[in-house]
Amino acid sequence: MGGELANGENVKVHSAVNVSGLRKTFGQGDSAVAVLSGLGFALPAGSSLALMGRSGSGKSTLLNILCGLEQADAGTVTLFGADGRTADWPCLRRERIGVVFQEANLMPTLSLLDNVRFRAALAGQPETRCQHWLEVLDIGELGQRFPDQVSGGQRQRAALAMAFAMAPDLILADEPTGSLDRNTANEVADELFRLQAETGCSLILATHDAELAARCQQTLDLGHRSGG
Amino acid sequence: MTVFTALFSHYRRHPWQGTALALLMLLATALWTGIHHLTSQARDSLGQSERLVEVREQVQRVDGAALTVEDFVLLRRQGLCVMPWLEVLPEGQSRRVIGVDPLAALCFQGQADVASFDGQPLVGQPFLDIADAAALTAAEQQLFLILAAGEGPLPSAYRTAPFALSPDTGQLGDSFLLNLDALSVLVLLITGLLLRSVYLLSLSQRRDSFALLARLGVSGRRVRGHLLLELLCLAALTLIPGIWLGQALASVLEGGFTNVMEGLFDSRQLATGGNHWRVPALVMTVLLLAVAMVDWLMPMVARATPGNRLRPAAATLLVLVGLAGVWLANALWLLFVALALVLAGIGWLMPRGLSLLSGAGVRASAQPGWRWWWAEFGVLCRRLALPLVALQFSLAMVLAVQALVITFEDTFDRWLSQRLSADVYVQVPEGADSALAANWLTEHLPSADEGLWHHVQRGSGRFRHGQAWQDVDIFAVTPVGPLMTGWGLLEQTSQPWQTLASGAGVMVNEQLAYRLGLSVGEELELVLAEQALKLPVLGIYPDYGRPAGEVLIAGQILPADFEVTFESFSISPASVPIETITDALRALWAEPALTIRDNRAIQDLANRVFEQTFMLTRAMTVLTLALAAVALLLMGWVFLSTRLWYFRLLEVWGMTKAEIFRKLLLLALAVTLSAAALALPLGVGLTWVLVQHINPLAFGWSLPMAVYPVFWLELLALALLIGGCIALLMRRQLGRPAVRPSVTGSVTGEER
Repeated sequence: MGGELANGENVKVHSAVNVSGLRKTFGQGDSAVAVLSGLGFALPAGSSLALMGRSGSGKSTLLNILCGLEQADAGTVTLFGADGRTADWPCLRRERIGVVFQEANLMPTLSLLDNVRFRAALAGQPETRCQHWLEVLDIGELGQRFPDQVSGGQRQRAALAMAFAMAPDLILADEPTGSLDRNTANEVADELFRLQAETGCSLILATHDAELAARCQQTLDLGHRSGG
Repeated sequence: MTVFTALFSHYRRHPWQGTALALLMLLATALWTGIHHLTSQARDSLGQSERLVEVREQVQRVDGAALTVEDFVLLRRQGLCVMPWLEVLPEGQSRRVIGVDPLAALCFQGQADVASFDGQPLVGQPFLDIADAAALTAAEQQLFLILAAGEGPLPSAYRTAPFALSPDTGQLGDSFLLNLDALSVLVLLITGLLLRSVYLLSLSQRRDSFALLARLGVSGRRVRGHLLLELLCLAALTLIPGIWLGQALASVLEGGFTNVMEGLFDSRQLATGGNHWRVPALVMTVLLLAVAMVDWLMPMVARATPGNRLRPAAATLLVLVGLAGVWLANALWLLFVALALVLAGIGWLMPRGLSLLSGAGVRASAQPGWRWWWAEFGVLCRRLALPLVALQFSLAMVLAVQALVITFEDTFDRWLSQRLSADVYVQVPEGADSALAANWLTEHLPSADEGLWHHVQRGSGRFRHGQAWQDVDIFAVTPVGPLMTGWGLLEQTSQPWQTLASGAGVMVNEQLAYRLGLSVGEELELVLAEQALKLPVLGIYPDYGRPAGEVLIAGQILPADFEVTFESFSISPASVPIETITDALRALWAEPALTIRDNRAIQDLANRVFEQTFMLTRAMTVLTLALAAVALLLMGWVFLSTRLWYFRLLEVWGMTKAEIFRKLLLLALAVTLSAAALALPLGVGLTWVLVQHINPLAFGWSLPMAVYPVFWLELLALALLIGGCIALLMRRQLGRPAVRPSVTGSVTGEER
């Protein structure tokens, strides 16, 4: 299954992400399911891309491949000019790629502020800016609370604070507002796009929400196959 | 799909959790069954042995020759009720069998133990028909003729003698059984803790399922009923193989146990007839039900127990009351109750202590990575509290038993060397004149160059205890010389041996001193054959292995009409050959068959017997430790699987798998090491209670308190090994896709 860029932009030479001929199949023989078949796209530095598609269409798999947690069966991935086959993925994830999931982004045993400090410290960023990021995301007064002591929306804001505290070049967000109510989801999305624009990082966002996808500069539809 | 199948489907999705629960049930059942089986056999054997020695007399030939079938025929023809008893050690085997004649036993009506052979099939465990026993190829065999109580006078060529040569060991046997029972109760406690922890874990794994069932309108009562049913199904699957495995375990240990019973208590064979499966099955079923039903009682328990804030204070109080009880207890059962209170309090305090340590670690860490690590450590300790407490108790038990064993082996070996300092020991035959032998020895062994000797006379006397007079064993020695003066004394006056030799004082064994609260310098009022004596206590000597009180005196103060029940000479020949001495004694006493025992052989035998005793105790404690280790291993693995997502987050945040494994390894090592570190003071305390309190109460003697730091290091290394194994199991999991925790789970606060 090939994907296509909705706005039809050409591949730029200095792209943050460059993907071509990407294939990924789960299972073997008759039960094999091909989730990605010859996928290719390029994401310019500083821009945003929405991944659309039904459940099982390969959005999360693609994000996992883009941060090196899974390996493609075929095809190439280039991040910031580095070939994915030889890239130091742990180093890329630690310092350049921020990942935000739909939920459970935080260590339950650490306060919100400590979570942000932990993430910043791993990326080699100053911990002194961590409280600032919580304040930017409007949860500055909740820094000493634990994840179970705040709401879902506040947890997602903290997850964004963690991502931005590491000064990433790329944020991979897997349905970051999927578990939130509409108003909270909008607020969190607003913060995400605002900070992405301010920091100039690239963003790949997997979502079912067409409204949210429309706020991205590009959209990649992975198809409508349901399953897996 | 019913509620039950919906609940049980959890194990279809997570087969390893079900396997872990079943495996633990099986191992716990096996361990407890094994221990119970051995304890029951020991109890049966001791009972049988005590009954046998209680009323039996044997017939011996006056000329000292071995008995034959002709002797039996002659006595029966004279109308005497005698029964042949043929002990055979079959070639290549270590266990004796006993051949009896059921027909001959017919005249023992009313004497239950022997009469029980009447008409019963003999299956060879250990009794078999005398004809079959005689047909065996024997490495050793000896025929005894047992005489019924109250039988008339024997022909002049025969005399009677007690059938059992050892002293009455009833009290010692009871103490031995009490210790075995205490050990099995401790094992049962540890087993209960482990089963409860696995059960709780299985519940926590299904929290979402319970929430869903509640939303679907299934009542909590119904869910609990189904859980109980599920547990009983698992029990039905595991109890029978567990009991079978336990009996197999007991049969492996049985060889050593037989020797222990035989050596310690003169129990000639280990009773094997009983089938001890009902009690373990019942106990384990009740234990499982208790494990499950604690939850039903929880609301009541919660009302009856103090709130969270007061719990540490209540636990501390429990420990303090228990310690006071241990200090003051004057009965074994009170001591065990006090010890149970201490253990309960410590078990309650331990997770709290580790939680405080974790909190301190979090506060002291500046780096968020370390703060996370300390917080995870706290969660692990809290969630694995029960198996950790079980591991702590097991480690403490192993440490205490090991320290006791090493101390005992060392002390006993030294004591036995002193007691058996002479090379040989010659028993004075009944009716022989010991003065003839003493005169000969004085004449021919006048100095240490020729050899050393002393004459031992044993009998019974009385001593005043308050207003009452009590019987006591008398141990008289003449002369008090170098064979004795090397004895180690627990307390002594100045020059105790010289004073004893002059007849100006006595010594008492530790048992008597402990019972009477005697110390050196105090005077003891004695009556020996109606002659009253009042002599100071010059020293207190250790006297292991028997419970009776004893007074040591110089033979010269023994009245002439003192009834001597046993006499012997201890001799260490130097330049005079032993054969010269024994030939002379045979001639002096006109006794062709002298009982001459090689003290070195006795010492070797005694050491072997105690080695076997402790091998058994060690085996039991090590098996308990193994069970606790396996439980923690399984629990740690299953629990850490539920934290897998958070370790996966670390990978998402850029840590390499090797870095994550190091963190995980450090966590697992810290948790098991903490349990071991906390087990050390508990183990040392248990050792102290065993040697200073339980032994004096049970046996009348105590052992010196000693600690063995090298063994501590071995236990700490073992704890590290367990932690390492948990981490290695988890390493496999790290490579697999992690399941994200549910939102409901993460907001309850249970994950931190």
